[in-house]
Amino acid sequence: MDNSGWKPPASGYLGPLSAVLVLLAGFTLAVWSYCLDQRPMHNDEGVNGIKFGQLWDHGGYKYDPDEHHGPSLYYATLAVGWLTRAPKDSDQFTDSRLRFTTVLFGVGLILLLPLIADGLGGRAVVWAALFTAVSPAVVFYSRYYIHEVLLVFFTFLALAAGWRYWRSRKPGWILLAGAGVGLMHATKETFVITLAAAGLALGLNQLWNRWLDATAPQAHPPRIRLSHLAAALAVWLGVALVLLTSFFTNAQGPLDSVHSYFPWLHRVAGASPHIHPWYFYLHRLVFFHAAKGPVWSEAFILVLAALGAWAAFARKGLANASASFVRFLALYTLALAGAYSLIAYKTPWCLLSFWHGMILLAGVGAAWLLQLARQRFLRLSLGLLLLAGTGQLAWQARMANTTYAADQRNPYVYAQTSPDLLNLVQRVEALALEHPQGSNMVVQVMAPEDDYWPLPWYLRNLKQVGCWDRVPKDPYAPVMIVSAQLHAGLDEKKTHVMVGYFQLRPQVFFELYVDLNLWRSWLAKNPPKPD
Amino acid sequence: MTNKMNTAHKTQRGLPGLSLTIGLTVAVLYLPLAPALQTADAAADQVLLAIKLPAPAFKGTPKDLQLGPNVEPISDKPRAPMMVPGGLKNIAAASKITCSDKNATADTLAKITDGDKDASDQSIIFLRKGTQWVQMDLGSPQEIFAILIWHAHNMAKVYHDIIVQVADDPDFIQNVRTIFNNDIDNTSGLGVGTDREYFETYEGKLLDAKGVKGRYLRFYSKGSTESALNEYTEIEVYGRPAK
Repeated sequence: MDNSGWKPPASGYLGPLSAVLVLLAGFTLAVWSYCLDQRPMHNDEGVNGIKFGQLWDHGGYKYDPDEHHGPSLYYATLAVGWLTRAPKDSDQFTDSRLRFTTVLFGVGLILLLPLIADGLGGRAVVWAALFTAVSPAVVFYSRYYIHEVLLVFFTFLALAAGWRYWRSRKPGWILLAGAGVGLMHATKETFVITLAAAGLALGLNQLWNRWLDATAPQAHPPRIRLSHLAAALAVWLGVALVLLTSFFTNAQGPLDSVHSYFPWLHRVAGASPHIHPWYFYLHRLVFFHAAKGPVWSEAFILVLAALGAWAAFARKGLANASASFVRFLALYTLALAGAYSLIAYKTPWCLLSFWHGMILLAGVGAAWLLQLARQRFLRLSLGLLLLAGTGQLAWQARMANTTYAADQRNPYVYAQTSPDLLNLVQRVEALALEHPQGSNMVVQVMAPEDDYWPLPWYLRNLKQVGCWDRVPKDPYAPVMIVSAQLHAGLDEKKTHVMVGYFQLRPQVFFELYVDLNLWRSWLAKNPPKPD
Repeated sequence: MTNKMNTAHKTQRGLPGLSLTIGLTVAVLYLPLAPALQTADAAADQVLLAIKLPAPAFKGTPKDLQLGPNVEPISDKPRAPMMVPGGLKNIAAASKITCSDKNATADTLAKITDGDKDASDQSIIFLRKGTQWVQMDLGSPQEIFAILIWHAHNMAKVYHDIIVQVADDPDFIQNVRTIFNNDIDNTSGLGVGTDREYFETYEGKLLDAKGVKGRYLRFYSKGSTESALNEYTEIEVYGRPAK
């Protein structure tokens, strides 16, 4: 290979472009951090909150291979907690504080963009940053205390660092890419799907470059050194090992990360309530309309992404972008979207992995469209049209995170906790204030299949909360929260009164039983004000 | 022997007196100590209840249940039949309806008695949030035996503060009687209710009015587990003119 004329590219990721993106990221952080507690914690967020609380209070975390993902979310929250002088007691952590960590990673997707500025093109990067900031899916799941946005961030970090290494052959970049993969590994088991899609796209793109792209550059960079690859692999495994062993305190962790695939494979094969048709993600992203709700669509991004991909394969109007990089991105995104659509097990936040690829391609598509318009008037009109589309996405993002934050008519809401649960929590906390034992008042929670989450998170300030998957032999306590499915009838002895139903999720209810004397005493001291 | 017996009798007679003396002495001595001892007892009551509670078991993402007209059955027990006098008819159909929400028009309110009990959105009317009421003027005093209410059975939900009252005047001042009240914490301010909340289902909520007499009926509600808004699909009132 001739590499005599090859020079490492200048650091195009620094300079005015970066300044613009940093400003946009700051603005995005401010907007995304607004009203983070608008939506009650989802079941999964509650579980993650309690797991983080155990780490924060006792320094303990042990990887659980069944149902639960990797440790990166908890350690990241720990780091953010230290940096932001969080309260010493995890009970003082609010929904907003937990979600702020995932918001930071979502905003981080904008801050990583300069690393691929010479791959996408400068203008495409700015458009991609805008689309990242307003995509309803990205905004919604960045404000969700689950692992998904961390996986997307670490994936992008690995891809961007990999691209920089590809361009410069500087070993620091591939080591960073290795660290990115290690962090992906320590975030979510589905990272293997991302790796497979990236590997497939890389291979196909190389074949395309060799056989179909006659305009490939004459001067080639030096060959990739095996020692660099080995070092990156070592960093990957090292990072994953450190996190999965909980900093060398749980030797079983890395092995468990392999074991975790067994329950997942079981679910993928159909043993799950989350089996959905192949178009599940497409339906939510392109056209979603539930009764009496607005129409939701991110088709604008999809269309622009298709244009960006076409430009890369046709090698037309890409300006300063790398056709090869954009082609790789298109193949990678397509492979990832295909894989996630084919896997029967689907939860809507999984779409974030391939949707981020679409957003990057949409940036290319927007820049390509503007490049196409030769006349100034046409270019201005197109620019305004693109901005109008961006604004419409921003409006949808706002609706998805405010009015429809916990509403089933929102395509990104899934098995969401009902806001009515907060009424239950408020009532139980008020009763505890009235009870002689205060926060030590005994509360019994009973629900089949442990279907009481996120109640343990919301009742974390009460110190005597017991959770059962059935009605125990002696269920009686000052306050009992019982799944309506159990038909418990704990008021039949007349020692307790059933003071109301509260909704956990649509069609899933709790009955609240209160000791009769406690209820009388509470009512006497808290005479409700009529409307 | 006799003397001994007498002596023994004397001793037995003396025992209650002795016991009484000792008891009184103890009681007198106890009096100044009682408050302190009671405080100590009360403090002893404050001991933390030692109870073994299970920790929450972590759970994966639950099933997502979508909105739809199919209501998940809450109870598999059929509703008990209600016995009423013969010759009753649905007197709600001919009633004049008003409500507390000034935005609701007469046409909208007419849907409450149009016979359409479907779960679809077209069959349901919405009243604003907070405690709201719908009032029926039956035209003349009626003897009411049964009332059926459907708020919205498009999905499983529970309406709060359901109160049904009957009165002789439209302002509900004269001879107001409560047929049903599940406002257990009196948040609607009409008194503490003792009836249980219930799930909205296609069967509607059947109330036994026990032949109560009156011309005006009011149906209160205060949002549901699903929404702060108040929904009404249909109300049926079975009765006959009062004698």
